[in-house]
Amino acid sequence: MATTTAAVTLTSDLLSDNMSVSASTTCMKAGTTADGLDQMEYGYLDLVTGDEYDLIAATPTATKASKLYLKNHSTDETYFIAVTQNAQAIGKLYGGDWMFIPADFHDAAGDIAITANGGTNKICYALFHEGTALVTT
Amino acid sequence: MATTTATITISSTDLLTDELALSTTCTLTKTTTATGIEDTTGLNRKKITSTAKGTASGQVTLYTADDFAAIPYLYIKNLATTAGHRIYVYDDTTSGDPLQFQLDAGDWGFIPMHGDKTYKAYATNNPTSIEFMVMGQDQ
Repeated sequence: MATTTAAVTLTSDLLSDNMSVSASTTCMKAGTTADGLDQMEYGYLDLVTGDEYDLIAATPTATKASKLYLKNHSTDETYFIAVTQNAQAIGKLYGGDWMFIPADFHDAAGDIAITANGGTNKICYALFHEGTALVTT
Repeated sequence: MATTTATITISSTDLLTDELALSTTCTLTKTTTATGIEDTTGLNRKKITSTAKGTASGQVTLYTADDFAAIPYLYIKNLATTAGHRIYVYDDTTSGDPLQFQLDAGDWGFIPMHGDKTYKAYATNNPTSIEFMVMGQDQ
């Protein structure tokens, strides 16, 4: 069994007392604590402004677990990518921002698409999953 | 100016032939500026008692549409410890209440949202505890 751990730490001095929130999870297959996600896709892209692209062309199998990490490496804070799943907006990443979602690929159309805005965005992504439905050529 | 940061670390020693060690930090700022965000809901812990979307009560509202200016950052964690006790997050603004994320026991997520949609959560088991926080710029 592969063991992949994802941890987050949020810190801030917004409040009267310093805030530090941490969480960690081992990325498991759906419905189990005994078997970790054992497949991964990783990519780094230059995405020109305007068009929408499927970030994940092969749809992860529905009802199975998937975790998606996505970061906009653009250094211009006015650049952003819009993120949609199944044509529904789920997030917007400006330069420097990242997201991590336990994705709900609940049907065949539930893949992830991104659209660049402002200029050529530099995108890094990693998908951890337990199986994909490959697209026929 | 307040400084708020979010750091993610993804690691594995046996998923790939070589060790996986991915870590990055972002500073949460007002949209298109380098100025730090100023507002947060604070950390919330609530019990979800609804096992379906669209029922009268029991879902937990994580974020109300347009409560914050774009971009609000949502942190969520499923506090259940039993595998299969899932939390489903759905978009309560869009027709059909499309599902957005599903969190199995122990899962967490961090999402820079558009900010114009209401997010609610239901769970497979009643009750299931959830922890969440929104950070951004109130309006």
